Amino acid sequence: MHTMENLLEVRNLSVSFDTCEGEVKAVRDVSFSLKKGEVLAIVGESGCGKSVLCKSIMKLLPKAARIKEGRILANGVDITGYRERDMWKMRGKFFSMILQDPMTSLNPTIPVGRQIAEAVSIHHRGMKREEIYRKALSLMELVGIERPKERYKMYPWHFSGGMRQRCVLAIALAGEPQILFADEPTTALDVTIQAQILDLLCDIQKRLGMAVILVSHDLGVVARAADRVAVMYAGKIVETGRAEEVFYDPRHPYTWGLLRSLPAFTRPDEEIYTIPGMPPTLFNLPKGDAFASRNEYALAIDYKEEPPMFQISDTHYAATWLLDIRAPKVKNPAAGRGTFAPDGYRQIYIRRSLSGEDAREGASAEKVKSGSFLSNASSAAVPQARPAVCAEERNENNVILDVRHLTHQFKMGKGAVVPAVNDISFQIRKGEVFGLVGESGCGKSTVARCVMNIYRPAGGSIWYQGIDICDEKQVRKHRKMLQTRRQLIFQDAAGGLNQRMKVARIIEEPMRIHHVKTPRGSYRGEAQFQMKYVGLDASYLNKYPSELSGGMRQRAAIARALSMEPEFLVADEPIASLDVSIQAQIINLFKHLQKEHGFTFLFIAHDLSVVRFLCDRVGVMYRGRLVEVAPTEKLFKTPLHPYTKALLSAIPVPDPRLEKARKLPDFEEEKWSVDGQLVEKQPMHFVLENHAEQI
Amino acid sequence: MNGKNPYLYYGGKVLGFFLSMAVLSFVVFYIARLAPGDPLVSYYGERAEKMAPDERAAATGKLGLDDPVSVQYIRWIRGALRGDFGISYKYKTDVTQVIGGRIGNTLLLGGTGFILIFVFSLLLGILCAWFEDRFPDRVICKIGTITSCIPEFWLSLVLILIFAVNLHILPGSGAYTAGREGDIKDRIWHLILPMTIVVTGHLWYYAFMIRNKILEEIRSDYVLLAKAKGLSKRRIMFRQCLRNVMPAYLSIMAISVPHIMGGTYIIETVFSYPGIGTLSYESARFQDYNLLMVLCMLSGGVVILCNMAAQTINELIDPRIRSGRDNGISEVSGLGG
Amino acid sequence: MEDKWFELVGRESASRVLSEWEEDRAGERDRARSGFWGSFWQKINRIKIRKKKRNRPVLSLCLLLIVMAGCLGCELFIPKDPLYMDLANYAHEPCREFWFGTDTMGRDLFSMIWYGGRISLLIGLTATAVSTLIAVIFGAVSGLSPRWLDALLMRLSEILLSVPGLLLVVLLQAVLGKANVWSISFVIGITGWMGIAKVVRTETKQIRNSEYVTASKCMGGGFFHVLWNHLAPNFISSIMFMVVMNVRSAILSESTLSFMGIGLPLDIISWGSMLTLADKALLSGAWWMILFPGAFLIVTLVCITNIGSALKDGAGSRESNL
Repeated sequence: MHTMENLLEVRNLSVSFDTCEGEVKAVRDVSFSLKKGEVLAIVGESGCGKSVLCKSIMKLLPKAARIKEGRILANGVDITGYRERDMWKMRGKFFSMILQDPMTSLNPTIPVGRQIAEAVSIHHRGMKREEIYRKALSLMELVGIERPKERYKMYPWHFSGGMRQRCVLAIALAGEPQILFADEPTTALDVTIQAQILDLLCDIQKRLGMAVILVSHDLGVVARAADRVAVMYAGKIVETGRAEEVFYDPRHPYTWGLLRSLPAFTRPDEEIYTIPGMPPTLFNLPKGDAFASRNEYALAIDYKEEPPMFQISDTHYAATWLLDIRAPKVKNPAAGRGTFAPDGYRQIYIRRSLSGEDAREGASAEKVKSGSFLSNASSAAVPQARPAVCAEERNENNVILDVRHLTHQFKMGKGAVVPAVNDISFQIRKGEVFGLVGESGCGKSTVARCVMNIYRPAGGSIWYQGIDICDEKQVRKHRKMLQTRRQLIFQDAAGGLNQRMKVARIIEEPMRIHHVKTPRGSYRGEAQFQMKYVGLDASYLNKYPSELSGGMRQRAAIARALSMEPEFLVADEPIASLDVSIQAQIINLFKHLQKEHGFTFLFIAHDLSVVRFLCDRVGVMYRGRLVEVAPTEKLFKTPLHPYTKALLSAIPVPDPRLEKARKLPDFEEEKWSVDGQLVEKQPMHFVLENHAEQI
Repeated sequence: MNGKNPYLYYGGKVLGFFLSMAVLSFVVFYIARLAPGDPLVSYYGERAEKMAPDERAAATGKLGLDDPVSVQYIRWIRGALRGDFGISYKYKTDVTQVIGGRIGNTLLLGGTGFILIFVFSLLLGILCAWFEDRFPDRVICKIGTITSCIPEFWLSLVLILIFAVNLHILPGSGAYTAGREGDIKDRIWHLILPMTIVVTGHLWYYAFMIRNKILEEIRSDYVLLAKAKGLSKRRIMFRQCLRNVMPAYLSIMAISVPHIMGGTYIIETVFSYPGIGTLSYESARFQDYNLLMVLCMLSGGVVILCNMAAQTINELIDPRIRSGRDNGISEVSGLGG
Repeated sequence: MEDKWFELVGRESASRVLSEWEEDRAGERDRARSGFWGSFWQKINRIKIRKKKRNRPVLSLCLLLIVMAGCLGCELFIPKDPLYMDLANYAHEPCREFWFGTDTMGRDLFSMIWYGGRISLLIGLTATAVSTLIAVIFGAVSGLSPRWLDALLMRLSEILLSVPGLLLVVLLQAVLGKANVWSISFVIGITGWMGIAKVVRTETKQIRNSEYVTASKCMGGGFFHVLWNHLAPNFISSIMFMVVMNVRSAILSESTLSFMGIGLPLDIISWGSMLTLADKALLSGAWWMILFPGAFLIVTLVCITNIGSALKDGAGSRESNL
């Protein structure tokens, strides 16, 4: 290797944390290099050490962490032993960083302009005030903040998440760094904003010729931006190579699993593949390959010895014993299914919605155009998958929840009113899964809370099985029925579970409230049964929620909801805070529950790709209004409202060639008006009036 | 910003102040009257106990104590509005004169103590935060814990015992040596011991507060970003963290003004320091109603004023709270406009 | 390496292999433990780890227990009757007969300290009970009530706070009549609840808006269910620290009040009332009258403080960024 060519080289880096439970090996024996102007993506689930890796290179880790082994070379100079004082000179100038959450990464008491100017002044000593100001303004322009002079004096809370992330980027760019670490820069943002920021990042990277290390858990994001990809698992890089190599010809079983578990590449009528089990805790790693216990293709040696890096091509390496000559030949199980055929099922719809082709025309054209196995199979599968629903679609008697002209607003302090939900009507039939999709702040959670009687709606009415739940009297009369038959599952399971109660108590709580006679004898027996049912080991009954991982907590929350044997479940973004592979597990659980019990669901999400697996019908919300309601397949095939189209096309697809070629449409917020009424444009397909005209 | 009338805002505050004062005066007036005890004792001394009933009635009438409490209260309010607060029963002069003669001493002790506490606790807090969980921090924290457990009067006694009784270095009582009232050096000499007690009694609480607030700030994400952009530790600590801590500190210090000033009365007693503390204690004990009322109104007024000052400081300095007044819905979103 | 290692076993055999691996680890551990250096390093590591764990106030707890046991069972070992005034030996220096000396009334200080400790601790506990009760009720009502009532209640407590503490005590004492243990506990309690009330209020507000309370309400949990199952356990842990600290400040206040002459009279022995005489002792240089009761008082208070701090939730759970 030519050291001089590499901007950054990391050799055999190991980082550990000293905690009271013992040593946590967050990064183990990681080596990689970064060339000038290159985008390297580091992918992995949360807790795999990808953030720690970045921070350890910039020496931003807390005191409990230490670099145990390895060397970090910057421009060929070993900076491993650099002290804090030397690092000040490196940070900002040689490398800089963007953090995940733009909401907390700016100082709330200093105007953003001054925060940028501060960064400028450090790196350009002796610059005049006037010059610094101008430089800061030009930086703000560079990152796409319009009217920078006006915005210079504003405080961070004046800005939305996307704008803040732009400010953070401007700060990071102030010292003209050669390397930019972007630690999940788009994770906390909405889909459409995410796409903007990502494109901005790529654009600036190309213009300035910077190298970027992009840390992400989202394979779609990575596919769009990265030249090279490194997949991390349990503190190790298990596979690395050029983006095309990793995406089209993955060799490590973990990479297979990651790609297979993406909803984008699963047919809507089948279960999403999930990697079984959980990532290991890093302070007590098993012997051998850390992934072995979740690996379908584990070899005996995987339990004994850690695999070395096997070379596949000049740039492609993977650490799995499967590549050893002695090992049996195992093919990527996903490869045979044509998952990565560029003409895949979903991409067609995206392209069509982008090019603005007539939807109906497209439907017929699809069969001609796409010869690929997948799209044929799926379009054939649709009618078979939901015959029951189709038959009942028009049967009004089956309506379980009827929301009519629901309106709600929040009072903020003195007299000011913020409208949250504006004139929303929809119906949910028995046994149906209704998805409600929209970006943060569009009012979807408010709808859920109104439906659950947490908020009293300001206008409109909600009928649940013929009971007007906005009417105090009727609610009181049917209180017990309403409270047991409807259950709510929260987004953040950690917040929804009392941290000071044991899991058993949490699951028993609703039964205790209603003094239910349990079919399984005791409350505890019932709790045990529900735990097993949602796939949790009974040994967790005596643990506190804080001892559980995110996915397990969500399972416990589901178990609590199920213990009342409800018929209607409201799930408010139940998977938004979970890892990809865990998300898939929970979606499958929901799907399974629905099949088995015929629950009716109101499923709220911000991500359209997830909704597709679960929901029979989907409503899209935008600025407090429902802009489009349609059966899932119809919505994906022929989205009518421009906002739905935007949402659909903004989802990054884990396919580098396609993703890089794709241009995203311009998103401007509040571009579309939300006046008018929903009209039925096609059978069962409703769209907001004024946009229905345009089609 | 949604248009908020500053006159209305501050007018409301002034109104709130006078309303609170009125409620306070009413409460104190009634409680004082409810308490059993003979106000005549403080006026006539021993003689009051030997008075004949008619003599007694005359004396009560003379002081206006035979009317119903509400009448007395209205009379007091009327006088107070004209600036006449009545006479002190014990000192038999105008209340304002009695207080005026002593308030300077208390202000000197409490005011200087306050400034010293303000400065030292800031320094100590920063020092502790800088050396978090290292030797200086631990030592300071340990000393602080122990000192905060020592009763002030006891520490005063020990210091007097050591420095005044045994070593004869410092004076153990009074505000000045008799006959040398104008001598500043002498005054300072007398102030050293009581001042030490005032400062050590309060210092640790505020130092801990500063320390914990800074440590909280240090743990937020923006510090990481500031570090990533190349700021030095000193610059982050002083320019960013301290800046965010200051509004809270200032407002807490403002609330503490009466606490620290009022806290001097024990010290005044131990050191026989002629200040307001001893005065208010006596007035409450011996039913010197008029004096008590004025002292209560004085300290109550300071408390309420300081609370308001704290609130205003918060709103003026801290942009986060200022935003709260804008109802928090002034987000500039996206690229709009 | 033989080829059998390259058999495809899948994840089914994971448990088998893992258990084998556990045994392996156990063996390794044993090996590591053997030998002088091995054990040495382990010890060092353990010390290092223990340092990082929350330090438990063992010493404070022991000391406090000793003091409390001594106070409660003082009849068993004190040499003199603490109430007996041996006027022949007044203000006697510490000697073999009077271990800590005698006070100006000829009472044996050593006996008085143990005997008077009861009263001090009792006042600390009762006063805290009173203030906690008021604080919890006030704070919870304020936290649960609508905004205007909350503002009113807070204003009210502010006005109460603005009456100087000492004056309030004097006035209350006057209303209650001659001071005894209960009245003074009541007075201290009623003047010291604002701090806890504020914590309870903010905590209540926070918990009230938390999702698990919402969930509980959705399931049909009534007011008392939420109060008992969700509110109480959560704020008990957060006010525990404040409550313990309140014991401390109550004992402190008692001693101060007694010293000022508005607390307990001389004939009810407590650490505070013992110090009442210290003022006069100063002039004669009778250091033992000041030092011994004070030392006991301070040691007890420091122990209580340490225990209180240990009860505080680990606030420094996040690592420093600087």
